[in-house]
Order: sequence, then C-alpha cells, then structure tokens
Amino acid sequence: MSSLSAAEVRKLAKSRKIEHVVVLGANGTMGYGSAALFTQAVPKVTFLARTKAKAEEGLGDAIRQVRSPTVASAAEVGDYEHDLEREVSRADLVFEALTEDFDVKKAIFDRVEEARRDDSIVATVTSGLSINALCEGRDHTFRENFLGIHFFNPPNVIVGTELIPGNDTTPELVDFVEAFCRARLGREIIRTADTPAFAGNRVGFKVLNEAAQLAEEIGPVLVDRLIGPYTGRAMTPLATIDLVGWDIHRAIVDNVYENTDDEAHETNRLPDYMDKLMEKGVLGNKTGRGFFWRGEDKVRHVLDPASGDYRPEADVELPDLSYIDQVAKLHSQGRYKEGMAVFMKAEGEYAAIARKALAGYISYAFHRVGEVTETIDGIDRIMGTGFNWAPPSVLVDTIGAGATVEMIEKSGLPVPPALAEAARTGEPARFFHHETINRGKFFVAG
Amino acid sequence: MAAGSEVYVLGGYQTDFARNWTKESKHFSALMREGVRGALEACEIAPEEVESAHVGNFAAELYCMQGHLGAFFTEVDPAFSGLPTSRHEAACASGSIALLAASAEIEAGRYDLQAVVGIEQMKTVSAAEGGAYLGTAAWYEDEADGIEFPFPKLFGRLGDEYDKRYGLKDEHLAEISRINYDNAKLNPNAQTRTWYMNKEHALCRTDDNAAVGGRIRISDCSQVTDGAVCVFLASRAYAEKWAKGMGKSLDEVPRIKGWGHNTARLRFADKVAESEGNRFVLPHVRSTITSAWKRSGIGDVNGIDAIETHDCFTTSEYMAIDHFGITEPGESWKAVEEGWLEIDGKHPINPSGGLIGAGHPVGATGTRQVLDAHKQVTGQAGDYQVEDAKNVQTLNIGGSGTTSVSFVVGV
Repeated sequence: MSSLSAAEVRKLAKSRKIEHVVVLGANGTMGYGSAALFTQAVPKVTFLARTKAKAEEGLGDAIRQVRSPTVASAAEVGDYEHDLEREVSRADLVFEALTEDFDVKKAIFDRVEEARRDDSIVATVTSGLSINALCEGRDHTFRENFLGIHFFNPPNVIVGTELIPGNDTTPELVDFVEAFCRARLGREIIRTADTPAFAGNRVGFKVLNEAAQLAEEIGPVLVDRLIGPYTGRAMTPLATIDLVGWDIHRAIVDNVYENTDDEAHETNRLPDYMDKLMEKGVLGNKTGRGFFWRGEDKVRHVLDPASGDYRPEADVELPDLSYIDQVAKLHSQGRYKEGMAVFMKAEGEYAAIARKALAGYISYAFHRVGEVTETIDGIDRIMGTGFNWAPPSVLVDTIGAGATVEMIEKSGLPVPPALAEAARTGEPARFFHHETINRGKFFVAG
Repeated sequence: MAAGSEVYVLGGYQTDFARNWTKESKHFSALMREGVRGALEACEIAPEEVESAHVGNFAAELYCMQGHLGAFFTEVDPAFSGLPTSRHEAACASGSIALLAASAEIEAGRYDLQAVVGIEQMKTVSAAEGGAYLGTAAWYEDEADGIEFPFPKLFGRLGDEYDKRYGLKDEHLAEISRINYDNAKLNPNAQTRTWYMNKEHALCRTDDNAAVGGRIRISDCSQVTDGAVCVFLASRAYAEKWAKGMGKSLDEVPRIKGWGHNTARLRFADKVAESEGNRFVLPHVRSTITSAWKRSGIGDVNGIDAIETHDCFTTSEYMAIDHFGITEPGESWKAVEEGWLEIDGKHPINPSGGLIGAGHPVGATGTRQVLDAHKQVTGQAGDYQVEDAKNVQTLNIGGSGTTSVSFVVGV
C-alpha cells in the first residue's frame, strides 16, 4: 500500500493515456462532480444516465459546480439503453457513480464487463460497498483492472481521495491510477484496505455518530459547542450530519456496525431517535429539518431528540463554557499549543465530555492502523484533506503525547500502543510530517 | 559589492495561500506567528539567534484595523521581546522593500541575522471594499475614488497602451493566465491549485469570466489572498556558521547577487507620457531589471534561469516579458507562442504560478518571490522545479508600475 514519490508520479502519469472517460450515473451528485473533475484532464468525458435528459441535467450541474461553460467542450451525453455498450467499448476508464445499492451497481457492471476492452480501467466511487464483492465472479481482466476511487463531495473542493484496490487489482494499475489522480486531477491520494467505509468515513462517522448519541443526553447545541471548531474542525459534528444527510449517515454507520467488531463497536450504533425521526422526513438540510432548521424568520431552531420538537436556539440554556472562549482566543492568535493546554486542564463535566470525544477520535484512529491503512499517515491525510479535521497526529503533536495519553486514560478508552510508547520514551518527537499541510489551519477559533 | 558584505538567503516559509484566515476566525497575529515559526523550523534557527526583523505590509490598517506591525513580530516568541523591528510599505512591493532594508543593514554590518516577513490578510472585507483599499496604491483621488475595481482598469490601460504602440491579442493574455494556473497546480502552497481553469476558460467571454476593467477579465487577475512569508537573510559570517551546522558548504547557500529599485511617478498617465518615444512602455521597470543584472555581474536575461515576476494582471506579465529582454519590445507574444515561458521552456516565468496562480497577499508577494527563488536555486521547488536553476530573478511592482524592485538570487 506504499505511496509513490513525486518523481514516480510524474513518470507514471505519462506512461499511459487516459483520453476517454465514461461516467455512469452522471446525473447524481458524485457523478457530475467527478465528471467535471475529469474534464480538466481528459479530452473526452461521456456523461451517461438513465435518460439522455438526465445526463444533460448532470452536465448542467457540472458546469454550475465548477462555474465554467468549458466543461461542455470535453463532454458528451447519452443514456444507458442506447449508448452504454458503444461508449464503454471505447473508454479508457469507466467510472461508476450510481446509487449506493449493491444490486444496482452489480447489474450495470454486468453490462460493463460485456462491453469493455480487456485493458480498460473500471472504477467505482462507492463510499462503503466492498470492492472485492463488487467484482466477485467476474472475468480476471475485469478484476485486475477494477478498483475504488473514492472522491469526497464536492470533488472540485475536497482533494482528499481514497484509492481502494481489490484482492486481484494489479499493483501496476493501482500505481498508475494514483499517479493519474495526483498529477492530472490534483488529488491527495490515500490508499486504504477494502474494509467497511474504508478509512475516512470509518473514523469520521464514528465521531459524528458518537456526537449524535450524545445529543440525546445533553442536546444538539451543547454537543456542537463542546465538539466545536476549537477541537480541530471547520464544521461542527451535528451540522455536518445535517449537511451529509441523515440517511447517508445511517447507511455508513449501519454498514460499519454490522460488518465490524472493534473496541468502540457501540459508538457506531445509530441512535434510535434518528431512525424514528427519519420516518417523519427528518433527513438534514435536504429536507430542511435535522438537528437544526431555520424557520421562515431565519431563526435557527434546534431539535429535541426525545420529542422530535424544535425550539429556538436562543432558548437553550448552556452551562458555563468560558474555557472554550479562552481556547478560541489563543487559537485566534495562533497559540494552538497553549490553547489545547487550556482545554486539557479545563475543569467540569462538560470539558471532560469534550475531551472524551477527542480522545475517542484519536484512540479509534490509531487503533485502525494496520486494518484500514498501513500507517497512521493515511488516516491523518484523509481526515485532514477529506474531512478538514485536525488529523489525529496533529492533535497528538499539539497536545503532546503524554497529555494525550492522560486524556485517553481518563476518558476510560484504550491507549494505542504507539502513543503509550511516545509518552514513555519521547519518541517519535512528532507524528505528523507533512510540510505542505499547514497544521494551524485545523484549529479554528470558533 | 565589497567582500564580506554579501547577503545570504538561508531559506524561509510560506503559509498555504489557499487558506482563508477570516473563516478560521484568526487574528492577524496568528498569520504572523505561523509564518515566522514555520521559517524558524524550516531553517532550524533558534529564536534567540534573530537580531532584527523587517515587516512588509501594505494595508493592515484598512484590512485589519491594525497598525504598528513591526511590534507584532515580538509577539511570536518571548526571545523576540526587545528586538529592533520595523514595518515597510510600498503597496504591492512592500515585501521587497522590507528585504532591501534588511539586506542594507547586513551590508552595513549592523546585524548578522535578519527575519523579513511579508504579510497581508485581505479576506476580511468584501471584494468591492478590498478593491477600493487597493486603489490607495494609486493616486487615490485622481485614479481610484468612486471607481469600482480601479486596479484592473489601470492595468487594462497598460494593455491598451501596448495595443496602441505594438498591437496586443487577448489570446496571448489568456495563454499567460493558463500557464500561471497550470504551474500553480504543481505548487502545494498555491491558492488556485485546485481551481477549474484552462485556456478556453480564460478566453471565455461569458459571466463565468466577467470583465472587471476594460480588457481585463477575471482570469486575467491575480487573487485576493491571505498569506505570510518569512525569510532569513544573513551575513557571510552567520551564513558560514549556519551552513556548517546544517552540514552544507557556504557555496550551497544562495545569495542576493544583485538588486534594482526604482520609483516612477504615481499616476499611470504620467508614466505613459514620460515613456513616449521610449522602446519600453515602463522604462523605470526596465531600469530596475537591468540594474539588478549589473550588480550581479549578469549580462542579460540569458544569465537568468527562471523569473518570478509580478503578474498582478496578465498585462503586467506581458509587459515584463519584453522588459526582461526575452523578446524585443512589443514582441512579448513571441515568447508566449514559442512556449519559452513554461517550466521547461527557454525562459521560465513564474514556475510557482505567480500572483495569478499562487496568489497575491499584497505585502507578502516580494518575499514570496525571493523564497521561491531560493527554493529553485537550492533544488527544493518540488514539482515546479526548474531544472538546474542557478540564478533566479524576481520583479515585484507596487502600484501601476510605480515602485519596482528586482532581486537576483543565486548560488
């Protein structure tokens, strides 16, 4: 799962031509977003959907997303019934972005397998379905040239991308696709294992779901305040679930809960209230109602998870959280270590709850090393460039290994051996080594 | 330059120009802190070693309601308390003026190690308000007052002047934009590295690429950027000691081999009137470039391996091409058409992406150019490295071609 040097990337990216990409499901969010990205680097990108009209809608959305009418110059549109076999037979890369349904994807791959050239690349943008299961039983040329390329939404803004080879994907193909994505599409590539939700969503949605569980006890406003920007993220956790969509959140955590059995298993169990409220159409921003909604008067209202009712945010009484203001003030001046030191020492049950959430993130991430990525570096990069969260290693470096271990222990969570070792020996002195990723940007002073 | 008065560039640090520090709820001091601490770390210099600091900044009073910026340097580390510091302003050339002041003090033997910080936080205000602030780099009352986005209009007039004297085609300006954006994709600190851009878009005449001032469209403009760049300048004595500690020989440490500095009259119309009959549209800019060569012992542009120039607009780079002597005056289009400006071309310009691609935090640009020159001549420019670059020249311009500063950085 090793990553390539810059020189290897340059050389490999030129080693093979990608001149025609066919995007299946080009009317969906990930479909048109990915297709727009490909038009930057590839002379011909075919947008395919159920109907030609839908493919045209996708092209229109792609143009709006990147705000350039020039997308159309590289684009063609068509539908599955009339155009799929012909276009796939000519494509260098077939990129599947259909709905996250195993049977739907399987059915289209049956047709792709029949039509494709033996040497064409087939990729799926799935955010959680098994890469190996999706190509199981198919011809060896398909399996050898098949892999997951998991862009995050919206791909023109978020560069973090997971590359997930199957058991039979040839290493040369994986290397080439990494080089192509890095050199031609400007991606930050993280190779992950074919495990449920891969690396980013596995770690990220665990934290989000724990926040949703916590909302039942202390309410959404307090949760988003406690696990707020000062803990190393641009967007608060429950606002993130609203943005992503509750249904998507459920699909991801259910998949992880059912198919893994790790040390934090229960944190991936979807809270019952979310299931119930989803039946009533609470799906987050897409339906207007989630943990938060804005009334016609633009006043932000907040959900009471127990009753499903909303009340104005201003009516929610919060405990004394003045330590957060102190941390934010230090962050605003770029004094991140001092800010996190204030956080570590803050007294009271709520600061302890916030530390437990952060400890849970760090502990869970380090425990996934060897399972979802080879080293912590992959998890760090996808959390930084995919979620815009402080990578676990950046947090450890900023808080200090000793104080991090103390926080994890006091939260009653398992201490990752690498951190225990660093706290004991002082080695490594630093976990995060990416000079081109500014560590300070993650410590938002909100 | 007398022996012993050389000025060495040890290295430095640039913040990621894609960041929006207002969105991060950050104060100006955070930007200063990350820039300086990043440079200390990159150069492995202990804070106690720094003897003096010069801060280049254009308009923090307007953008951040904050003056007295030299004093903010002392906030970065307890060891800096008490250091002699100062702030320098010359519009978009502020960063270079800070470098000139610091290097003059080293040449005079006053100090052995200087920190030079170029810094600007611009995303604190709307585009229109920021555009008006930038207007103060012109003669505000005569050239900017009541005009929306005055600077694109001034540099549109530079294009018009070229058109009048020699002819100018939009497609050549679009190609300049395309090269800068393409190079920026290779630079991990460039603001536009992930943006959707190509030559067709640069030539596009729809609202997606709206006109902002005469012939200047959005794709012809540099960016509104938050950023800080800190570089360390040192005397020979300090550079020798530092190089030894880093396991390098002094030969490997780049020097400021020469510099040029001219200030023309403020109003664009006056500059153009002065240059009537001259082969160069902005003769003082030409003089800045040639005096940097003279002081470096370099004959002409063939002695320069790459250029980091001030492409605040595509027209300013178009002007720079013939002012550097890459082509005869008025024939800049030839260099564009021949591909000479590409990273692997005969005269690479802005391998970093320049102000259009990498971004333009006004007061930081001059220091960013010198830091990029340092990266090039030490082979540390990564994907935007110009092969075997030994001498790199910068050109930093304040106002409508008013204050010009150029450095030759080489090993």
